Amino acid sequence: MSAINNNCEYISKKQIEITFDGKTYKAYEGDTIASALLRNNIRLVGRSFKYHRPRGIYTCGIEEPNALVQIISEHNEPNTRATIKRVYDGIEITSQNRWPSLTYDFGAINNILSPIFSAGFYYKTFMGPKGFWKNLYEPLIRRSAGLGKPPKNFRSKSTHQYHNNDVVIIGAGLSGLAAAKKFINTKYKVLLIEQDSYLGGVLKNSNKVKTINDLTPRKWISETEKLILNSKNITILKNTLVTTYNFTNHLIALEDKFAGKKIELNKSELTLHKIRTSNTIIANGHIERFISFRNNDLPGVMLASSFEKYIHRYGVVPEKEPVIFTNNSSSLSLLKKLISLGCKPNAYVDSRKKDNIETEIKKILKDNEISFFSDAEIEGCDGNKKVETITIRQGKSFKKLQSSMLCVSGGYNPDIHLFTQSKGLVKWDKNILSFKPDTPFQKTITLGSTSGNYNFKKLCDEINEKLSIFKTKKVSLDINLNVPNKFSITELWETKKKNNSNWSKSFVDLHNDVTTKDLKQAITEGFDRIEHLKRYTTNSMGTDQGKISSINSLAIVSKMLKKEISEVGTTTYRPPYAPLSFAAIAGRSTYEFYDPERKTSIHSWHLKNNAVFENVGQWKRPWYFKASENETMHQAVQRESKMLRENAGILDGSTLGKIEIKGRDALEFMNLMYTNAFSKMKPMTSRYAMMLGEDGMIKDDGIICKISDQHFIATTTSSGAPKVLADMEEYLQTEWPHLQVFLNSITEQFSTFNISGPKTREIMMKVFPDIDFSNDAFPFMTFKNFDYKKTKIRIMRASFTGELGYEIYVPPKFGLELWQEIFSCGKEYNLIPYGTETMHLLRAEKGYIVIGQETDGTVTPIDLNYNWMIGKNKKDFIGKRSLTRPDTSREDRKQLVGLLPINKKDIIEEGQHIVELNELPKKITNPIKYLGHVSSGYHSPNLNHSIGLAMIKGGKNLFGQKFFVTATGKTKNIPVEIVNPVFIDPENKRLTS
Amino acid sequence: MTNILSIPGVKVSQKDYHQIIIRGNGLEKFNNTIEEKTSIKPPSKNLEIKYDLNYLFAKNSFDQWSLILMDKKEHHQILNLVSSINTNENMLASDYSYGQVYFEIEGENKDYFINQLTHFDLREEKFPKLTMAQTIIARIDCSIYNLGNKFIITCNKSYEDYFQKRLKDTALLSNTS
Repeated sequence: MSAINNNCEYISKKQIEITFDGKTYKAYEGDTIASALLRNNIRLVGRSFKYHRPRGIYTCGIEEPNALVQIISEHNEPNTRATIKRVYDGIEITSQNRWPSLTYDFGAINNILSPIFSAGFYYKTFMGPKGFWKNLYEPLIRRSAGLGKPPKNFRSKSTHQYHNNDVVIIGAGLSGLAAAKKFINTKYKVLLIEQDSYLGGVLKNSNKVKTINDLTPRKWISETEKLILNSKNITILKNTLVTTYNFTNHLIALEDKFAGKKIELNKSELTLHKIRTSNTIIANGHIERFISFRNNDLPGVMLASSFEKYIHRYGVVPEKEPVIFTNNSSSLSLLKKLISLGCKPNAYVDSRKKDNIETEIKKILKDNEISFFSDAEIEGCDGNKKVETITIRQGKSFKKLQSSMLCVSGGYNPDIHLFTQSKGLVKWDKNILSFKPDTPFQKTITLGSTSGNYNFKKLCDEINEKLSIFKTKKVSLDINLNVPNKFSITELWETKKKNNSNWSKSFVDLHNDVTTKDLKQAITEGFDRIEHLKRYTTNSMGTDQGKISSINSLAIVSKMLKKEISEVGTTTYRPPYAPLSFAAIAGRSTYEFYDPERKTSIHSWHLKNNAVFENVGQWKRPWYFKASENETMHQAVQRESKMLRENAGILDGSTLGKIEIKGRDALEFMNLMYTNAFSKMKPMTSRYAMMLGEDGMIKDDGIICKISDQHFIATTTSSGAPKVLADMEEYLQTEWPHLQVFLNSITEQFSTFNISGPKTREIMMKVFPDIDFSNDAFPFMTFKNFDYKKTKIRIMRASFTGELGYEIYVPPKFGLELWQEIFSCGKEYNLIPYGTETMHLLRAEKGYIVIGQETDGTVTPIDLNYNWMIGKNKKDFIGKRSLTRPDTSREDRKQLVGLLPINKKDIIEEGQHIVELNELPKKITNPIKYLGHVSSGYHSPNLNHSIGLAMIKGGKNLFGQKFFVTATGKTKNIPVEIVNPVFIDPENKRLTS
Repeated sequence: MTNILSIPGVKVSQKDYHQIIIRGNGLEKFNNTIEEKTSIKPPSKNLEIKYDLNYLFAKNSFDQWSLILMDKKEHHQILNLVSSINTNENMLASDYSYGQVYFEIEGENKDYFINQLTHFDLREEKFPKLTMAQTIIARIDCSIYNLGNKFIITCNKSYEDYFQKRLKDTALLSNTS
C-alpha cells in the first residue's frame, strides 16, 4: 500500500514536522492530521470505543467517527477529529483509548469478550453478584469510560462575539456562495459561515463541476469571494462551524482562530459566535453514508467521496489501487480522477444492475481494463489491523481480492442536523433514499444538497425561487459537469455475511461500536420504537449524533420491522452538531473574570493595609486586616474587636444599599413597605426598620433617614439592595400606582464609613472641628448634612457594634481622602480598621441580628422578639396580615436566644444543632429530638469566652434552662445555658453615651 | 480624560462627567421645572437623547431621565442644581456624578468591539443615533448612549476596575487588534 502526492493549490509546499505517538513524520502546511497521516501511509490511528477494535480514517470531515486523537501540545485536548484538525510544525499528537500502545492494546480483549458487551449490556451484565457493582464494576467502568484523557492545567482563552443579522448563510459551497452573491450590496446584513479555511465546498473537494459561467470552479470561487469581500453588507467567517440552531433563529458557531497554527497563549484560541438572525439559509451540503458489511470498520475502509476529497482538497491519494464499492452514480468522478492520475482501481463493485449503471462508467472500466462487478456487493474484508483482502459476492459466487483500501459509497444524506435542531420537519424522499427538509419551524431556507437537490442544473432555479422573498437580483449559474446530472441509486444498507462469527462484526454506528446484530437483538427484546432502540443500543448517540449512521440504522430497522422507513421515523439530532469545548462556552467568564468584582473607593487603601477580602455579592469587602504576616484570622478578629471596644475602629460600609425615596406620598409608601411607623418620626432623625415579605417573613433591614414626610433615604443590606429597590418599584407600579413616589438607587453615590468605639467622639471632633458632636447637639439616631471640601457629606449617629458610633456618607471621589484624614486624626486614639468578621462578632455581642444569618426566610420579627418594630396601629404594611396567622403566632416557633457555654472553655460553633442529649449515640437508630440551631457563634475577646445566638423552638420561655450543642466530629455535646441574646451593655449606656 | 486603549478601528477613553438622575411624570409642570433649572427642555420620547457639547439629556424610561453634564463644573454647583430640582415635591433628582464612570468608544470597528461584550443589537435601525439603552455589557448593568460617531457607556463606579480590565482584555484578544 502506498499513498502518493497530488498537486493541490490548497496545500502549501512548505514541509513541516509532526509527531504521532512519539514518531516524527513529514507533512505540509495546510494538512489535517488525517491527510498528513495518510500521506505517511499511516492507516491505524485509534481504537474503538467499546471493543477497542483497530480503527483508521473513515472520512474527510466533521462526520469522522473513528479517527479521534489527543493533541498533547494543546492543553492535552482529547477527542479531536483528525479529519478536521489542521497541523502545524511541531504539533504533538497521540492516539487514545489504548494501553500500552496503539498496535498492542490490552483493551482489545473486549472484542474477544464481545458476546457479553452486546446491546443493553449496561443493564444486564452488571446486575450481580451483590457488592460487585460498587467494588468492581463501577470503578472499572469509570476507569475505562471515555476515549481521550481530560486535560490537566487547562488555561485556554476563548472569546465570545455577538452578531445581529438579517441573514445568515451556513456553508460557503456552491449553493452558499451563489446565495451570498445575491445579497451583495443589498440592504441586508449577511453573515456567511464556512467550516473550512477555503470557500467552495464540493467545488474544491471534487471535480464534479467542470465550469461555472465559463469559469473554472477555482476561478469562479475566487471571483465570487472577491465580490463578497468588497460588499460592505456581507461578512465571511472561515474556520467556523455552526454547532447549534436554537429557537428564534439563534445560532451558535465556533471559530478556530488558530487553525493550522500553533496556539499563542496570550491570544484567543477560539471564538464562540452567538448569532441572532432574521433568516437562516442552510447550505451545508450532505454527508455520504456507508454500507454495513463484515468488518466494515477495518483501517483502510473509507467513504468514497472522502477519498476523493483527500485528492482534491489535500493533495494526497491515499491508495493508488483501491477497490470501489458503490450503490449509486456518484463515484464516477472519483473513478475519472484516479484514471487521470494514472492510478487504476483494483476493482469496481456496483450493487446496481448492469443496465442501470451509467454508460460512461462502464466505458471507463472497459477502456482501462478495471475489474467490474455489477449487481454485486462486498461480503466483507479481512486483515490484521488493516484491510488486506476483500471478498466480493456476485450472485452465488465469491471472489477474494488483495487490496489495502476500500472506498465505499452508500449514497448521500442531506445534512439535516441543523434543520432538525431548529424543529423543522423532514420527509422521506424515495429518489435519493434519504430524509430531506420539509416544513421549517422558523425562518429557515435550505438550499442545494441540504434540501435534497442533487441536481446541479436545477440549483440556480432553486436559489432564485427560494430567495425570492428577499429584495435581491436574480443570480445566474451556467454549470457544466464532469458527471451525469441525474443521480441514480439502488437501495443497499447491509450486505449478507457468508459465515456468522462473533468476532467479525458488521457495524452500523462506528462511533459507538453498534453492530447490525445489536439492532436485531434490541428489536427481539422488544425495543422496536426507534427512540427506545437508540437509547438501548446507544446507536447515533453522543458527540457523533449519527452523522453517517443514523439513516442506515433507520433503514436496517425498518427492514427488520417490515415497515417503510418513513413509518419508523427519525430520532432527534441534538445540539451541538459537533463537540464544543467548555473553554469556548465559558468564554472570558473564567479565572479573573469568573464573576464581576465591585470595589469601594477605599479598596486601594485596604490592599496597602493587608486586608483579607471576602465576597459579599460581587463586592470585595475587607474581612479582617492582618497586623503581621503570621497573624491568623482568629487573632486578627480578636485584636480588632478588643481594640474597638477599648478605643475606636472604622469599617468601610460603602457596600450598604442606599435608596432615595421622594414624592408627595413618600410617607404613606414607607409606612406600607416597612413594619415600622414613620408618621410621628421627626425630620432629620433615623430609625432601624424592617421589611417583610407578604408571608410575614423578614426580607431585609436597614436604617431609614427621614428628611421630611416627602423625602426619605433608606439603607439596605449589601446583597439585598437590588432586590429591595426592584420590590419597591414593583409595588409602586402594580399595587399602589396611585401613590406619587419616585425612587433612585444611590448606593454608588456615597462612600460610607462606620466609625465606633468609646473614643469616636474625640476623633470626629478632630476631623470635623466645626461640628458639635455632643450628645445634646447630636443625639443617637439623628443625622445632619455638612459642607466638606467642595462637596457635602451626611453624618448619622448610629452604631452596629453597640458602641458610640457615627456613619459618614461622602461622595466616592472624596472618600479615600476623608478616610485617610480620619486615620491621621485617629492615630493618637489607637483607631484601627476592622473588617466584616469583627463587625459580626461585635454585633453578636450586642445581640443584633444579621439578615441571612439569624433569618432564613422563615423568621418573623416576633420570632426575634422585635415586636417593638411593628407599627401596630398602622392600617397596613406588607406582611401584616400574615403575622396574625395561627402559624406565625405559634408559641413554639423557633425564636432568637443567646447561648452561653457552661464550661467557659467550650466553643459554640455556628450551624450546630441544639439538643436535649449530652451525648449522641455512636450509631443513631432513632431520630434525635431537634430543638434548633446555632445561627451565630464567636469567641468574645471582651467576655473571654464563647457566645452564641440561636433559633430555638419556644426559645423565649427557655431562658435559664440548660441544653446541649452538638460539636463537629464528636458525640459528646457541649452543655449551654439559654440566655438573653444581648451580652454586652444591655442598658445601651455605651450606645447613647 | 484617560485613554484606556487604542487598537485599529477602536479607541476607548474614560471621561469625567457629572450626572443627575431625575424621576418624574414628564408632564408640563415637570418639563417647566427642568427647563427653568437647567435651561434644557427634557426629551419626551422614550430612549431619546438630546445632546450638545455641554450636556447629554436622555429619557431612560417612562418616568426617568439622565442628565449628563459634560462641561467642567464644581460639585457644589451640581448639588445645588439637584437641591433646586428637588424643591418640586413631585420630582426626585439624585446626584450620580461620582457614582458612575463614563467610557467613550469610537472608531469604525466600535460595534464589532462592543459586541464582544454584549448581545445588544447595535444596528442603526435597532439602535438609532441619539437614542440610549440600558443593557448588560460585560455581564454588568450599563447604559449606552449612541451619539452616532461614538458610544458613551456608563456603569457603576464600583465596577470601574473590572470594566476597564474587560475592555483591555477584549482589545488584547480582539480580532481587530
